[in-house]
Amino acid sequence: MKQMKIFHKVIAANLANILLIVVTGFLAYHSLDKVLTKLRFMEIADGLSSSFLEMRLAEKNFFLYGEKSALSDIQSKISTAIKTIERSKPDVLRAIGVAKTTRLQSNLENYSRTLEQARIGDTTVQAKVRAAGHNIMEFMNYITSSERAEVNNIIEGSERGLFLSFVLILFTAVGVTLLLSVRVLGSLTRIEKAAHLISEGEFEKIPPEKSSDECGMAVSALLAMARELRNREEQMLEARKLAAIGILIAGVSHEIGNPLNNISMLAQNFVELYDRMDTQEHIEYVKKIEDETERIQRIVKDLLDFARPKNPDFQETDINNVVNKSMRLVQNMISICNLDSLLDLREGLPSVYIDEHQIQGVLINLLTNSIHASSPGDRLRLTTRFNPESDRVEVELEDTGKGISPEILPHIFDPFFTTKGASGTGLGLFVSYGIIKNHKGEMRVRSEAGVGTCFTIELPVHNRLGRSEPCLVSGS
Amino acid sequence: MPGFRVIVIDDEKIVGQMIKVAMEPEGYQVETFLNAEPAFSRLREEKFDVVITDLKMKGIDGMDVLRTIKTAYPDVKVIMITAFASLDSAVEAMKSKVDGFFAKPVKIKELKECIQKLLSTDESGA
Repeated sequence: MKQMKIFHKVIAANLANILLIVVTGFLAYHSLDKVLTKLRFMEIADGLSSSFLEMRLAEKNFFLYGEKSALSDIQSKISTAIKTIERSKPDVLRAIGVAKTTRLQSNLENYSRTLEQARIGDTTVQAKVRAAGHNIMEFMNYITSSERAEVNNIIEGSERGLFLSFVLILFTAVGVTLLLSVRVLGSLTRIEKAAHLISEGEFEKIPPEKSSDECGMAVSALLAMARELRNREEQMLEARKLAAIGILIAGVSHEIGNPLNNISMLAQNFVELYDRMDTQEHIEYVKKIEDETERIQRIVKDLLDFARPKNPDFQETDINNVVNKSMRLVQNMISICNLDSLLDLREGLPSVYIDEHQIQGVLINLLTNSIHASSPGDRLRLTTRFNPESDRVEVELEDTGKGISPEILPHIFDPFFTTKGASGTGLGLFVSYGIIKNHKGEMRVRSEAGVGTCFTIELPVHNRLGRSEPCLVSGS
Repeated sequence: MPGFRVIVIDDEKIVGQMIKVAMEPEGYQVETFLNAEPAFSRLREEKFDVVITDLKMKGIDGMDVLRTIKTAYPDVKVIMITAFASLDSAVEAMKSKVDGFFAKPVKIKELKECIQKLLSTDESGA
């Protein structure tokens, strides 16, 4: 069977509640109406009761003092009572029913008849008259007390009924609200899970939506949107790759164009001014040409490293060994530049799974950059540590050099971006970044002009079981 | 063309050197700079006839040099050279009234001819 939509459930629950309220209202109205009828009758009954009491008083006067006028007085009261009953018959009938009304009327007629007999001088009827009067009073008392009891019953009944319906309405409302919130929250949780999986790109893990309610529709829509987004992203990535290639080509043309121009100009002047130059100058020119070709060669080599990265040879490695080796290679430069260097290598780090040669290249590149940015007396600090939060090994290189200005900072990983003029290719950090990414690692930089720069490399731990032996720490 | 004064701005040191070496024997006075700032201060001090500038430079780039000179010294001829000549940059330079536009590698002979032509028309026009 098709699952009921949340929307339909809400409507059904509300309709049920409205129905309950209408029924309760109707019952309450009915009870009130009944009570009103009874009260109206009670008013009439009170009038009748006092008139009956007066009749009996007159009856007493008649029998005790022989007042003839008392009899006609009673008769007129009886006819007034009968008229009153006739006049309010619908109310009376509704209140006490046909049988009781008829009995009341016949009792009154009977009283009237016996009184008539007494008037014509029949003294034997005294007991009969008294009995008839008594009957009327008794019957009237009976009716009024039973009516009062009934009014109380009705009021009590409607009180119970109202309370019961209040409880029922409350229960339904609360029940429906709970049910709805459980359903809606459940649906939201499903949507949230689906959205989370989509954000991680794991479409396959989203359970197929069988339900056709709003939640099911929302999840399907989300899924469709995410697939579409992924398609678009792929297209955009392609476009971006093409744009990147364009930038790369433009960069290459410019980078190679300059040394090429230098060679060309050197050669032109060499030919043009050959006779005016001495041998020393000739050699100088040719050497400069040689330097410029080397510059081109360097660019081409870096470019090739970038374009055709050699298949990395991943090995389980202790990062501290790589750091030490890289440090030894630049130690000479550090000494010449008169810099302080400090190694802070944490012992017993988990081993990393890396291409040692590539990571060493990255470290040397970073160290060389730091050395170039530093002046005599500045300090270099190389730290290794394990970050249990990210489960990664971190290598941090901090220098107190001239720092990188905020305008330049966003561009330092761009290809062909260099601050070293002709002596740099602008590919070092670009290639380094690629290498770290290829190791599923991260490379971060923070820097402040005039204060220093700090590069952090994060590398994932190889195997939690394969921890490397504690290594010896060596500083400079 | 004796006595004409030329400024070369290019962050490639060899460019300035080679232009200087090629032109000084013909009587030009050539001063070379690796960026625009010191060249501007020289221009404020003395009168120059031609400025040869690279397009892509750190700091003030060639297009800024062209505009600044054409605004402050409309008589000074500006020649632009670039290692990455795009149609866009050429059009932009033309709009800013560049007097010559050369793609690297530059033929020094052609550069000299261009300068001679610019200076002679200037003289005949004056």
